[in-house]
Amino acid sequence: MRNLLNKELKLTINPFFYILPLIMGLLMLIPGWLYFLVFMYFCFITVPNTLAACKAQNDLSFSILMPVQRNDIVGARVLSFTILELLHIAFGAVFAVINIKLYGEAVFFMTPNVAFFGLGFIMLGLFNLFLFPIFFRSAYKYGVAVTVSTIAAFLFAAGAELLVLFNRELNVFMRYYKGDHWLVLIAGILIFAIMTYISYRISIIRFRKVEA
Amino acid sequence: MKILEIDKLNKSYEKFRLKDVSFDLEEGYIMGFIGANGAGKTTTLKSILNMINYESGEISIMGKNFCENEKELKQHIGYMFGDADFYTRRRICTITDVVSKFYDNWDGDEYRRLMDWFGLDDKKKVMELSEGMKVKFSLVLALSHKARLLLLDEPTSGLDPVARDELLELFQKVVEDGRTSILFSTHITSDLDKCADYITYINNGKIIDSKALEDFKNSYRLVKGPVAKLDEVSHKLVSHKTSSFNFTGLAKESEITQTDGIVLEVPELDDIMIYYARRERNNA
Repeated sequence: MRNLLNKELKLTINPFFYILPLIMGLLMLIPGWLYFLVFMYFCFITVPNTLAACKAQNDLSFSILMPVQRNDIVGARVLSFTILELLHIAFGAVFAVINIKLYGEAVFFMTPNVAFFGLGFIMLGLFNLFLFPIFFRSAYKYGVAVTVSTIAAFLFAAGAELLVLFNRELNVFMRYYKGDHWLVLIAGILIFAIMTYISYRISIIRFRKVEA
Repeated sequence: MKILEIDKLNKSYEKFRLKDVSFDLEEGYIMGFIGANGAGKTTTLKSILNMINYESGEISIMGKNFCENEKELKQHIGYMFGDADFYTRRRICTITDVVSKFYDNWDGDEYRRLMDWFGLDDKKKVMELSEGMKVKFSLVLALSHKARLLLLDEPTSGLDPVARDELLELFQKVVEDGRTSILFSTHITSDLDKCADYITYINNGKIIDSKALEDFKNSYRLVKGPVAKLDEVSHKLVSHKTSSFNFTGLAKESEITQTDGIVLEVPELDDIMIYYARRERNNA
């Protein structure tokens, strides 16, 4: 697994995608924006480009031919993408702190506060839940997997923004109950971990049938 | 010791089937795996490496069941697939750095020695290598982790005659230690005359024969004679061709005897492949 992860990080993922979380994190400085988009650029840019590169470079055959177990191929891919997701969240968090210092509470959409990051984790967990099991049906076709998982993440983000915007209680909670926001973050991290793990387990089963 | 044993391997596709494929390879020898395009050579090689899920059969490498010991046994296998170029836009040194970490027996000094010997520059990208150089790079990777079994899918196709000859000489050097074996598929049968110890012939997913090169050739006869004699022998022939006055066919050596007006010759590998393929076409 360690060697496969090394392969993912050195060969499969273009170095640009390690810089992208920093660049996208800067978008947190746009005042009053839809900050879920900061994380969604991972879904729009990093994932399809990386999976397209895998297909073009015959990554599936390369990985299967190495002295590894099939499960580890799935594990390394899930883990490497999770590392990138955490990088996006980490850089987003740094600039979110600056955002709040500069602008205070957002007027219209959600403020990128601690609870918002909990929801961000849930959005990425949902993205993973759809992405990996669909992708590992073939381990090279990525169009349907990226489309479905991005739509799922988008619907969650749009639903969350609209609920907070139009539901008075939720709006008040997100603006004023800052002490409880940590609970949302912890719950978000747990849901992200559970969804990603379920996604990994389903992908393993599907990948067993794949032929290179 | 048998380095590779394949027993009754079966795999079905919509329009093609591997049927009870069985053969084995002793350590220290080169086996040519021949067959026409689409005969099942690559499917068999991919099955050996568990790249495709076969329906039944057993594959053993160094006496151990491959499926049960895949991770361990792959440490002893080197491979090269003609249709698969991996990470061609990356530098050789980057690929080597990643690949070397997978192998417990990786020998960095041997890697450097072989790269120098082949004149390969590891600052180059894979796509900048010629076909021959790509094959050599695959071999360097395989030999640097001290692979005991090399599985090479059409390594000589696309190479010029000089590069092909060099490569075949190299194959012979590789097996000189008596521990390393090579199974390489090809449809360029002249390559096999130069270096193969054994031949396994697959036709339409079925193994026709697997034996030492000379025994393989000697177990067939090219039968030539006037068309008038064809009726006498046609039932003994694998298949035949006719011209205005004469016929030429292939028969098993055990099934045909010299008679007046008929000439028997030891066939070339090409002849055997051609007449079996012709039989399949006639039966289709």
